[in-house]
Amino acid sequence: MDFFEFLINRSDDMLELGIEHAVLVGVSVLLATVIGVGLGIATYQRERPREVVLAITGAFLTVPSFALFILLIGPLGLGAMPVVVALTMYGLLPIVRNTITGLREVDPAIVESALGMGMSRSQRLLRIELPLAWPVIITGIRVTTLVLLGIAAIGAIVLGPGYGELIFTGLARVGTPVAVNLVLAGTLGVIILAVLFDAFFYVIRKLTTSQGIR
Amino acid sequence: MTSTTVNNRSTGKVMIRLENLTKRFPGQKHNAVDNLTLDIYEGEIVVLVGPSGCGKTTTMKMINRIIEPTSGRIILDGEDVTTTDPDALRRRIGYVIQQVGLFPHLTIGENIATVPKLLGWDSKRVSARVDELLEMVNLAPESYRNRYPKQLSGGQKQRVGVARALGADPDVMLMDEPFGAIDPITRDRLQNEFLRLQSEVRKTIVFVTHDIDEAIKMGDRIAILQDASKIAQYDTPEQILTAPANDFVSDFIGNGASLKRLNLSHVSDIELTQWPTVQLGTDHNQALDMLRRSDRSALLVLDESGRPRRWVGADDLHRGAGRPLDEIGLPAGAMVEPRATLSDALNELITARYSVTIVVDAKGIYQGVVDIEQINEAIRGMRSSAVARARAGLAEGAEAGSTGGQP
Repeated sequence: MDFFEFLINRSDDMLELGIEHAVLVGVSVLLATVIGVGLGIATYQRERPREVVLAITGAFLTVPSFALFILLIGPLGLGAMPVVVALTMYGLLPIVRNTITGLREVDPAIVESALGMGMSRSQRLLRIELPLAWPVIITGIRVTTLVLLGIAAIGAIVLGPGYGELIFTGLARVGTPVAVNLVLAGTLGVIILAVLFDAFFYVIRKLTTSQGIR
Repeated sequence: MTSTTVNNRSTGKVMIRLENLTKRFPGQKHNAVDNLTLDIYEGEIVVLVGPSGCGKTTTMKMINRIIEPTSGRIILDGEDVTTTDPDALRRRIGYVIQQVGLFPHLTIGENIATVPKLLGWDSKRVSARVDELLEMVNLAPESYRNRYPKQLSGGQKQRVGVARALGADPDVMLMDEPFGAIDPITRDRLQNEFLRLQSEVRKTIVFVTHDIDEAIKMGDRIAILQDASKIAQYDTPEQILTAPANDFVSDFIGNGASLKRLNLSHVSDIELTQWPTVQLGTDHNQALDMLRRSDRSALLVLDESGRPRRWVGADDLHRGAGRPLDEIGLPAGAMVEPRATLSDALNELITARYSVTIVVDAKGIYQGVVDIEQINEAIRGMRSSAVARARAGLAEGAEAGSTGGQP
């Protein structure tokens, strides 16, 4: 069977799996963003905590994904839960690192003049520092999204949702003509999602970054 | 202190009092600012000037508590603000720094609106204030309000910086080398604009610089600081130039004290000398007659409306017989307006053909001339009045600090 015929036959599946995959990654990115930006804000001004956070989130990334998914079955069972937790852990480093970098790169003269005008700590952070660091932070979120789209496929090993299902089914049928088509379809789905997410972040970045710093 | 001489501007009311102010940074052996006591009068520009590392910026930043003092008190308009809410204090004090520090993601209008918005002004009042301030600093509101800082030149950014500091009409402004990063020509223009602005708004201003010339130009009063913000002399520019309190001050002023003093007086302050003038179209013999009767070596030719055109001497009149007066002699250069400083006048005079500077009004009409005698006279006058003042202080037994530097 020709690959395109295969795709047309499975188009309903492809769409459903794509939505699952996108939601899975979207939720994980959202969690990683909330936690990662929070950790970045909490630590960017002091050297020791900053390095500890970067070391720990960096260490997460070195754990082989296969192993992490399986280790999480114990506490979290099968399905989407262990996948979301694992993806959130993997997604932290680029976001934390870019948040810290972005906030530290804000010109000290700008922060000083905000201070000198009587802005409180939270006003300085919300009105000055975060908007200026935002283009760097959103780049981190974008990198995280691309990394997680790939890793999410492996989540099928613990029965997580998404295109991983096609790939693992293909893997189980190595040698049969349909195996290649299954793996190709799963991979193609991930690539298309990556392109869509990238375009989404491009637009979001455009819309949310002040003209003054573009 | 001799407060009598300050440009009638001072109300004599102390706006900022620093009492035994001391700062020691953690891990340092010596105080960055050591037991500084200083009164700053309402409506004056007080310049803190001194070599780098003398603690002048630290001193300034303790006034709005960007740097918290280790000990001592800051009294603003009669109120002890040493331990009050620092954000509320800072909203009462305009702050301008050398790097300007405009918020790049906000428009010029939003930048200027920062403090008024923090104070909760309604949006109508805020936008009216923004336009008023933009006009004050010579930026057309319609074309600048919605621009971003990156679209402005350095000089324009600094103007916006000043407008932003004036946002909520604070009584006090702190300015840390505000014109330090700007090219000399623009700096001169911004300084003049700022002095004009100050003559309207009459803020109490603490101005930090390391440049004694800027201090002399901008200051109603100058505090020359040595190590750890120890005051070497706190006085008017005239007094500091004519009666430096000690060797440190003399050294800091440098060699050109007399020349610097000329920056303090204006052509309009002295009586002009009259020079023999002749109208265009006057007959040559008549002109020669006039020249003979005067004790000068040339006549100044004026056109119909009274603008200086040429210098003509006896030789020119003889040799150029028959030619109109504006085709013989030399073109009249070296002109200044009455608001120019004596330093400007002297500068022109040195290069001028007949060793005088022509003074014209804003329309270019001849008023008189300044010669070297008058400049000498002005210097002598400044010196003797300053010495007299310093000696008066000595007689009263006041802290005149005149251990040296007396002629």
